[in-house]
Amino acid sequence: MKTDFQRIVVIGYGKVTGEVLKYTYDRGADYGYGLEFIEHELHALSVTKLICEERGIPFASMPDKRELAAYLGEIEEKTLIISASNNFLFPASLVERENITIINFHNALLPDYPGRNAPSWVIYQGEERTGITWHYVTAGVDEGNIIIQKSCEIGPDTRAYELTEELMNLASEGFYECFDAVLTECAMTRPQSFPPGRRMYRSTEIPGDGFMDLEEKPENLYRLLRSVDYGKSGIFPPLQTEIGGARAEVLRYRKISPEKKKEEAGMVYLPLDDGNLLKIKYRTL
Amino acid sequence: MEEKVLEVLEEYCEEALGYKGDNMMEEGVIDSFTVINIVSELEDVFDIEIDAKYVVAENFRNKEAIIELVRQLVEE
Repeated sequence: MKTDFQRIVVIGYGKVTGEVLKYTYDRGADYGYGLEFIEHELHALSVTKLICEERGIPFASMPDKRELAAYLGEIEEKTLIISASNNFLFPASLVERENITIINFHNALLPDYPGRNAPSWVIYQGEERTGITWHYVTAGVDEGNIIIQKSCEIGPDTRAYELTEELMNLASEGFYECFDAVLTECAMTRPQSFPPGRRMYRSTEIPGDGFMDLEEKPENLYRLLRSVDYGKSGIFPPLQTEIGGARAEVLRYRKISPEKKKEEAGMVYLPLDDGNLLKIKYRTL
Repeated sequence: MEEKVLEVLEEYCEEALGYKGDNMMEEGVIDSFTVINIVSELEDVFDIEIDAKYVVAENFRNKEAIIELVRQLVEE
């Protein structure tokens, strides 16, 4: 198989990045490109470094944006940059270069939900479906032509991290499917059509502005709680609420059946329409 | 306590019960999403808070490390 790309640079973190690295490494013999990985964001549970070490893939850690931009700016060969779960915004000067092609994985069905933390926003907005998009990168954020999309359902109890995992699995599948077409530059793409008032979600935004009003419908609160639930990853700060006139922080929550209710301090139970209870453990601040 | 931890592991990552090595995450027995589930369940079962600083590969290298982590937090 033949490609004009001489070099592939993978940037990102997490499960998709690991799968992309393994796949591009395995396919290297078919095409003869050079492969390298750049870690821009550090994560406690990341195994991408190990994947590189095991396979002899060159690995570089570049947490500094300027250093990364300068490094990429010096690339002279025809290069494919694969951005997977990566929050570095590629400068326009790089995107526009003839020898550079960049593809990016976005964890929503573009043009909907561009920007950051899309799995949270789709849960918070009560969407019943979402998905993933691999697209070419242009100077605008999440605006390039779509290469492939895959969709999935959002269950009534799905938490943000569970949805994220499902989306990452879809992203890997999508990548395997479109890789050859991207590399041989014959991918059938389609432009995005942007609805008026399209909103870009920023990293500083939190569903519900990070506050839970206990007077609201419990179903809405459950949706809010699930939308910001990434375990201990610290993507969002703990939700805050007000209980008995005092500010409190939500520690954890769970949907339980009524017979499991136990009266104890620091806990509230709210009735859900399906007959279950929403158990919320909190700490007064 | 140990029995309860093993029950949680059985529910979310049965493979971890039979794992004899020292690198469960790196060897792909457990992934970061499973860790989130396990942490959430352990917090609920033992009514403890597992701070993010404890959610590192070292504390999830095998079932013994997880049991030891919970033991420490329960005794705090």
